[in-house]
Amino acid sequence: MAVVRSLPRHARLTLWSRLNMPRTFTVKPLGWSVLAASVALLAIFGINRAVDDVRVASKPIVAAVFPNTGAAAVKPPQRVQFVLVAPEAKKVAVVGDFNGWDASHASYQAQHRGGGVWAVTAPVPIGHHRYSFVVDDSVWVTDPMAPRVADNDYGVANSAIVVEEQK
Amino acid sequence: MRVAAVAGVAISLVVARVSSAQDARLAARLDKPTLVAVNAIVDSARISKLPTEPLVDKALEGAAKGSEGANIVSAVHQLSLRMGSAKRVLGPASTPDEIKAAASAIGVGVSDRDLARLRAAAGKHQVTLPLAVLTDLIDRNVPIETATNLVLQLARAGVKDPDLALFQRNVRADIDRGADPTVAATTRARGLVLRGAPSKPAE
Repeated sequence: MAVVRSLPRHARLTLWSRLNMPRTFTVKPLGWSVLAASVALLAIFGINRAVDDVRVASKPIVAAVFPNTGAAAVKPPQRVQFVLVAPEAKKVAVVGDFNGWDASHASYQAQHRGGGVWAVTAPVPIGHHRYSFVVDDSVWVTDPMAPRVADNDYGVANSAIVVEEQK
Repeated sequence: MRVAAVAGVAISLVVARVSSAQDARLAARLDKPTLVAVNAIVDSARISKLPTEPLVDKALEGAAKGSEGANIVSAVHQLSLRMGSAKRVLGPASTPDEIKAAASAIGVGVSDRDLARLRAAAGKHQVTLPLAVLTDLIDRNVPIETATNLVLQLARAGVKDPDLALFQRNVRADIDRGADPTVAATTRARGLVLRGAPSKPAE
């Protein structure tokens, strides 16, 4: 014990010296490989997501700044009139891929114009869309004025519409 | 052990990150097993650089039509296969609308070969509306071969989209009035071609 006491005391370690002090790490290749792969995955998904976010967020800005260039690809939805003759109906709504097939969507509720004619004029994005009428919340009816798309998946056909930019 | 735990947390974060990229509309309308399966298909399509919105729409459509989860998953899966096939045939420059329309056409029996012929016949023009009209004709009992040949003729004659839409409405009206679908489509197409459309797609 006397020998130990005779040894010089260690200098008190400061935070700086602790940070600078060389250390030895033991590395297990498997565990650290998994960790490295996970970090790489995080980085890839994070970057992809960030790029997507920037792209989406910048579209309207780019379109506004460069309205006459290809950057103006973001075109506003066009007003499309949907008409169905359904004399017995109590309620008619339009559902389609432009409103998430949501029959309760307020903008796509047809109004009775008299004589069994139901109509609604609603915004539809430019492009190819599938849609249908829903009568009385239960009966799916294709648009008799539009091309029909057979549906072998759900057994109820839809109508197709190609909306173009109005000139 | 600590490293494994950290790795586990990192993987969880990645999974959470991917999940957050999924469509909230699906989560609101699908049960959990269906949601997981549909999300997997959508992710797979995203990796294949296919448009994912039609797949989300397909799932939402199934939910709106009261279809069972397994049926929805099957429908979304089949659509992803058809879209993959459509994109291969139409080429990498094809638009999401063209891929959607082509997937519908494939769904009613149009072959990859005919799809390629239509793509070639249309030149630089989009084939979205021609494909929609073709799908409609087939759905109205015009034989696939006849309908395909008619739409090909119209495309080669440079018939423009508004005229093509009018052709579809006229054929439908004829059929609704009792005409034979094949005769109605053939007669209307011949009339449109003879009317003096340009001999090749207009620039």
